[in-house]
Amino acid sequence: MKPASPGVAVLALLALAACQQPATSPTLAIAAAEATRPASAGPPIAMPSLAPDGGAIAHLKPAERPPISSDEAGLWLLSDKYEDQLRTSGSMVRDPALNDYVKGVVCRLAGAYCGDIRVYLVRRPGMNASMVPNGTMAVWTGLLLRARNEAQLATILAHEIGHYLRRHGVQAMRDARDKSAAALFFSVGFGVVGVPAAGDLVALGLVGSMYAFSRDNEREADDIGIRIMARAGYDPREAAKVWANLIAEVKNDEESKDRAIFFATHPEREERLETLAALAESLLPAVAEPRLGRAEHEAAIGPHRLGFLIDELQHRRYARLEPLLGMLAADGFRTGEVRYAEGEMYRLRGKEGDDAKALAAYEAAEVSGGAPAELYRSAGLVRLRQGDRAKAVSAFARYLELLPDATDREMIRMMMAQPTS
Amino acid sequence: MRQGIRARCAVAALVGLLLALGGCVQSSFTTTDKLQRRAADLRIVLMPIDVTLAEVTTGGNLEANAEWTASGRQHLTSALGEFLDQRNVRTVAYREPVSDPDRARFHTQIVKLHSAVGRSILRHQYQQSPAVLPTKKDRFDWSLGPQVGALGTEYSADYALFVHVEDSYASEGRVAAQVVVAILFGVVMPGGVQVGFASLVDLKTGEIVWFNRLLRREGDLRQPDPARETVRALMDKFPT
Repeated sequence: MKPASPGVAVLALLALAACQQPATSPTLAIAAAEATRPASAGPPIAMPSLAPDGGAIAHLKPAERPPISSDEAGLWLLSDKYEDQLRTSGSMVRDPALNDYVKGVVCRLAGAYCGDIRVYLVRRPGMNASMVPNGTMAVWTGLLLRARNEAQLATILAHEIGHYLRRHGVQAMRDARDKSAAALFFSVGFGVVGVPAAGDLVALGLVGSMYAFSRDNEREADDIGIRIMARAGYDPREAAKVWANLIAEVKNDEESKDRAIFFATHPEREERLETLAALAESLLPAVAEPRLGRAEHEAAIGPHRLGFLIDELQHRRYARLEPLLGMLAADGFRTGEVRYAEGEMYRLRGKEGDDAKALAAYEAAEVSGGAPAELYRSAGLVRLRQGDRAKAVSAFARYLELLPDATDREMIRMMMAQPTS
Repeated sequence: MRQGIRARCAVAALVGLLLALGGCVQSSFTTTDKLQRRAADLRIVLMPIDVTLAEVTTGGNLEANAEWTASGRQHLTSALGEFLDQRNVRTVAYREPVSDPDRARFHTQIVKLHSAVGRSILRHQYQQSPAVLPTKKDRFDWSLGPQVGALGTEYSADYALFVHVEDSYASEGRVAAQVVVAILFGVVMPGGVQVGFASLVDLKTGEIVWFNRLLRREGDLRQPDPARETVRALMDKFPT
């Protein structure tokens, strides 16, 4: 996946191009995953044989660092700086159990490379993860929210591991170097060099910028990623579902026309879906007991889901949230919380008819149980907006009864006392 | 990404403008002529130097170079040490408190804060910048806040010195392209640039008492002697 915003990391924009594996190079040393493969499974899953044009970038070996005199070491230098920024960022999720869970999945996938990939959980809505050349992987909480089982989470993590193993970062840098030189010779040849291009000047902070992965990189990371996940015993059919769910979100989002950054660099979504689905069928026979890991995933993510949903609500991209909430409600985990979030979405959006939908969702949340006490405050606010003072006051009273020390208690009492809002 | 390129062009255009004006503008600011000291010696903590050396490729891309950066950091550190020694300053090297993660985190936040404030100064203080603030027109008052006092207590130091430098050098291909373009079109295509800034922070108040920036087409941190020259330029009008 690609970083969707310059905010997360200018460095994450380091890009990448297709890496090719020499025909003679060994298959990936996904040792741990290999070791756990049941004897009853089909033939081992081969790593992809790569582009036919004979490029010479081999996989990184476990614990390998590029030599200091190489161009790749320069990228790692910038990556190390980015990692320092990320590590000390206020957006890091520091909950040990959640970190351990995601790291555990990464290690299961990465095998011998487990120690080379460092996972950072970033508290941020939206579905994204990124990888920079030195093995720094950033995973947004919006992704954890959207992966509906461990196999789906593994789909994205394995894709990112694919970028790392194939050294897409250095390939992209070299591509950009070649392209800019070609562009310069082209301009000189056609006599169009009149003034220095502004972009040629170097300025503070620009040494840190990197390049975007190419579509070929993304295709390759998809390809290697699904193989890695299948090797680790996950059901490869889940890979296509991740994209299907994301497509459902995006299609519902009329506002997303100029925001579909993700798709700008990723292979055409339908093409991607079909390729992954076909690959999954071919890989499936080699996976003895295709694992979904739904219960494990729920145990790890469940306690945080409401918080992630509230972050999404603050993003105010309701059209994308709507299909997601529908899917989460259908999953049946912590339904009270999910329905509460649904009510919040309608209350905040406040379109024609949304008040009634919000109240219905709050009621459903109440019936399911497990919703936070704030549900009553929200219901009170909707009732006030509808002009139903009696019901508003009783909802507020319930809120204060459940949370007598709420920080906004005085404001709530004031709203209960005043004739109109 | 496109946004990144726009920002890059904007900053590059700004730097171009500043380079053009470079000869005649103020580059350093000082709020004091005389530094205050707790004891007989003036003690300054040298914070981790943030330095990156890069190569300008034929097409004008910037690529960080790890080997150059390592030697550049070394040369810069020793040249700064010499510079301060000559002014009878006791330089205290910063050491990350590895056994105390909370303290290490606090220090990191100070460094990040300084980086943000330093970039704001570059953007908003210098009169030739298009983003100069009217409130900063006739005065220089920037601060990291009094919390940095903890650093002073830890190191028994009076001030902290922060340095950020980015230096780039034209590759052979770039030099060749510059020659060709100059001959054919009579224009100079940019090669390497040395940019950076340094600030001296009063650890009693958090105020930045001296600030200077570098912005020029010369210098070479890969070699010890030119690095000394860069330090002299960077530490221009440094009070003692």
